[in-house]
Amino acid sequence: MNAPKSVVADLLEKTVATCTELLVEEKIIGFQSFGNFEVRKKEERLSVHPATQIRTLIPPKLVVNFKQSNILKDKLKDLPNNE
Amino acid sequence: MNKDKISSQEIIDLVASKALVSKRAAEEFLKAMISSIEEALLEGEIVKVKNFGTFKLQWNEPRKSVNVQTGEEIMLSGYHKVSFTPDAVLRELINEPFAHLFPVELDGEIDKTNYEGSEVPLDPLRIFEEQASEIKDLLFEIQALSSSSTKPTKETEIIQDEILNPDQKTEIPIEVIDELETIDELEEVDETTEISEFVIEDNEEQLQDNQDIITELDAIEPVEIEVESESEELEMETTPNSDETEPDKRKLWLRVLIAFVVLIAVGCGVYFVYPPAKDFTDTTFEKTKMSVLRTSEKISITDMVNTISGWFSPENKIAEIPHIVVIPKDTTAIDSINAKIAVDSLQALFDNPRVYTEFIATERFKDGGRLTKFAKRYYGTKEFWVYIYEANKAKILNPDNIPTGTIIKIPKLNPLLINASNPRCMQKAMELHDIYVKQ
Repeated sequence: MNAPKSVVADLLEKTVATCTELLVEEKIIGFQSFGNFEVRKKEERLSVHPATQIRTLIPPKLVVNFKQSNILKDKLKDLPNNE
Repeated sequence: MNKDKISSQEIIDLVASKALVSKRAAEEFLKAMISSIEEALLEGEIVKVKNFGTFKLQWNEPRKSVNVQTGEEIMLSGYHKVSFTPDAVLRELINEPFAHLFPVELDGEIDKTNYEGSEVPLDPLRIFEEQASEIKDLLFEIQALSSSSTKPTKETEIIQDEILNPDQKTEIPIEVIDELETIDELEEVDETTEISEFVIEDNEEQLQDNQDIITELDAIEPVEIEVESESEELEMETTPNSDETEPDKRKLWLRVLIAFVVLIAVGCGVYFVYPPAKDFTDTTFEKTKMSVLRTSEKISITDMVNTISGWFSPENKIAEIPHIVVIPKDTTAIDSINAKIAVDSLQALFDNPRVYTEFIATERFKDGGRLTKFAKRYYGTKEFWVYIYEANKAKILNPDNIPTGTIIKIPKLNPLLINASNPRCMQKAMELHDIYVKQ
């Protein structure tokens, strides 16, 4: 892509901003051949500190999840198995 | 919740309109971006997009599994996976609806953990009770033997050492008794063991009636003294040889010591067995003190007979009293901390009703806006939203649900009050948070 650095930087920033906005609206963003970005809700849960036995109620939260597309998965298959 | 899926094309359109570039350029850029991320990942690199997140390749090991239908074991081959870790900025923006929630330690459990400390010493007491019965057995054996008295001065030294070590305290009676092989003393020790059991039983029944126990102790104390004076007389009679007075004095002192140690042990036992009796700690403490005083009185009586015990007992008292004092300290730790806090000026800031006269900004509530968001922006930490709420109480009915368009003022706060690195500021904010959220 032939463009000055500043333009690319601006575009990248705008893209990130757009994606963030969409995600805040809890929409799924799908990039063909790459994967989906999705907001998932993690339900509240009880956690017990293993050492102190203090039980803590962790409130629900929203997190961004990324799931790779099958196309990307196939590409990754060609990689060597050692890492 | 609308889970609409946005396709690449829509993203391209949005980016194009936002960056004021042609759709073609945006499309080109996005494709280039994704392919460059892919390439970098395929080379095993970590790709980080500022304010968005980090892409990383993750190798999943091959693993065994079972075919659900046939029950056959199959091998799943290992594979690479793209892991995405959202950036802190993105994470917070996404989690906005739940940003006001904090992990809560459950109240009921806190009590339990507090109790933990006092539940542990239960075992030493059980051992103590076992030892009490052991002592009885020993006494019967000794009575049967009724051998002559042997008085090694070494033992007093050992006892002294052990008094300083409260954990081994319960063992002292046995050792001492092993040494004290006189019938007179057997009687007395028997008496004291009985007394200690007596007191334990009382306590096990109920601690609620403190007065009962105190009177009980009152009743017990004189008996002890009587027994002692009796044995004193007996000893005076049985010791015609002036050379033997020195060991006898030692014996006397030992007896006093035993009584004293048993009392202390009982006092500790009382405290440890009854975590719910914390409320009565003060009274128990007083009681123990009383008994200590009585013991010292006893010692002063024996002082007239010998000077050695007089020399040892103050030291004894000094060694033991601090030990008693230490125990209540644990439970009243919070109180003492509070007392400490009360002294300084920060507490004054917390206690005085805050008056908001100066404002640094005015904000209009947007859809999905949050006080925590403003707090984060103006004070750097979301926990201090409570102060914004305090300043705008008149306009905000429910801090969890503020109608769009509400105009709120952001107060100017004392920097001391919103010092995020000061745990007390955070604690205060949390307290206020709890108060307001529960409303």
